Amino acid sequence: MKKVFAFLLKLIGKLLLIALIAFVATFTLYITNGENKLIYYVVRPFLNKHYDAQVRDRRIV
Amino acid sequence: MKATDKLIAAIDKKLERFDPLWQAENGTGGLRSRYYDKTGVAKWREWRGVKDTFYDYTQWINNLVSMAGMVASAPVPILKGFWEYRWMGSYLGTFMFIDRLFEGYRGTELRIAHQNMHAIVQSLTKRIAFILSNDRRLGGGPDTDKIIPHDETITPLFLKGFKDLYPVPMQTLPEFIICDIDQHIEPYYIDVAESFGLPADVCSRCAAETGVALDDALPLVGKIMLSTNMPCNASEATSMFQRRRIGLPDNPITLAMQHQEKEAIPYSRKELENALAFVEEHYGVKYDWNELFKYATLMNEQNTIELEKWDLFKTPYSPLSGIAESLYRLYSWQSANGTDPYFNKVDRKVIEIMRKCYEDKYLPFGGKTRHRAFLWGPSAVYYTDFPTWTQNCWGITIVLNMDSTMGYNMIDTTDPDKAMDDLTAFTQRACMRHHAVGGWENINAVWEWAKNFNCDMVLMNDNIACKGMLGVHAVMEEQARDLGLHFIFIEHDLEDSRTVSRQDMRNCVNNYMSVVLNEKPLDPTLLEFDDSQAF
Repeated sequence: MKKVFAFLLKLIGKLLLIALIAFVATFTLYITNGENKLIYYVVRPFLNKHYDAQVRDRRIV
Repeated sequence: MKATDKLIAAIDKKLERFDPLWQAENGTGGLRSRYYDKTGVAKWREWRGVKDTFYDYTQWINNLVSMAGMVASAPVPILKGFWEYRWMGSYLGTFMFIDRLFEGYRGTELRIAHQNMHAIVQSLTKRIAFILSNDRRLGGGPDTDKIIPHDETITPLFLKGFKDLYPVPMQTLPEFIICDIDQHIEPYYIDVAESFGLPADVCSRCAAETGVALDDALPLVGKIMLSTNMPCNASEATSMFQRRRIGLPDNPITLAMQHQEKEAIPYSRKELENALAFVEEHYGVKYDWNELFKYATLMNEQNTIELEKWDLFKTPYSPLSGIAESLYRLYSWQSANGTDPYFNKVDRKVIEIMRKCYEDKYLPFGGKTRHRAFLWGPSAVYYTDFPTWTQNCWGITIVLNMDSTMGYNMIDTTDPDKAMDDLTAFTQRACMRHHAVGGWENINAVWEWAKNFNCDMVLMNDNIACKGMLGVHAVMEEQARDLGLHFIFIEHDLEDSRTVSRQDMRNCVNNYMSVVLNEKPLDPTLLEFDDSQAF
């Protein structure tokens, strides 16, 4: 019984630690507006370069 | 006061100097202070106090999970979609878009706004995954031939009687919604259309839709298409271009222009019946009225709640207004349209909150509202986050927008004959149709709406390329003078922000508020700023 209890405590402790790390990481990303900076300055310029290089079959019919 | 509340109050006091609303009140900055110039990229997210910042963070996670779910449900089609379609890249601006829309929102206003917005996000992400998974351009899928692609201004509801088919508004993903998120996407498609000799002075929405079609950027799904003449003559033109480029058998649903007239119903009803017969013929299925009644019941509930909301909008105690109201109604009516029970769930929650606010005589936006305005505005009000800006800069609450006045009649759920008449009336009052075209009565209705909702101001968007509306400019101004309403024409070129910039639009209000009304802004950092390179 004690072993199960200790295991559960350990598991809960680990889960709490993972939740804390996940919270700190995501909240930091959120508050620094990190994902939007990445999208605006890196991802979109990269995608735009690709879109501009596309050869598209533009026709009316 | 509980210990945690005391602790939160102490932290809020300590950090209040980072709150842009506090900064504006104390002359140390404001809502625009945290942005890099021109780009619309914020250096950090808005500090709204502990509770509201944490709530905003949880909703950011919520939306992030929906987007991750979208990618996980169809990873290959989504990646292919990003690589194939320019408009897919624009959806990456969604987080920035949501931040802009709810800037300055606190407490109940923020909670309702996020509930409404998440309904849109969860619906859109599922729809993107579904359409790209079945897009013939990307290899097709198991449901490619079960989809009924129809024009975005045709309501999907009347097609829900086909049990195993999926009505999908064709232009919603590549044009209708994305133009609100990224101001730079539609000019690209407009240029594509104009490079074929399409005149540059036509409605930019229709030009953009044409450009999307010519650029092969409309996902290819279904066996047929249902085009329409709605909402106006420019839409007829783009429908013709789209049908030629897409090449699927097309049934144009040409509804009566003067749809307020009694005689319009039998004529338009026949058009809808023809469309149903066209679907039956091409898909080999039978229309099931019991299936339709299931969804009509959901739509009726949506509209019943909407009408109750309208009663609450008439009071000063509604925490739902501006873009949180207008964009939600636009999507939940025109796109969801009774086909997604998630919207009913959200509506039930939101109306409960609104009832409570009314009982408590809750004054939204910290009681800073100075004017109540009725807005007669299309998509240019979304990519500019215009209602949020009028609230934060001048204390003008947008009580209701024209998009919210779409079909609000109930649909009979027992008798197919009555239901068909109801569906016809409902469909005729679609997006942009109920307001700007289809007769003088529709335009003139703005005064009645403004009066009924206890507004002292009307903001009327003046689409400089809308041939239908150009003639009424002076008449409207004269009427406003006679009725004693504050009236501001906001010039814009709908989806082409190169012709009339966001700042040009804001200046229309700035000039009226400072020169005519001699008022001072609530937040001076919002008066003049350059966001020309922002999404």
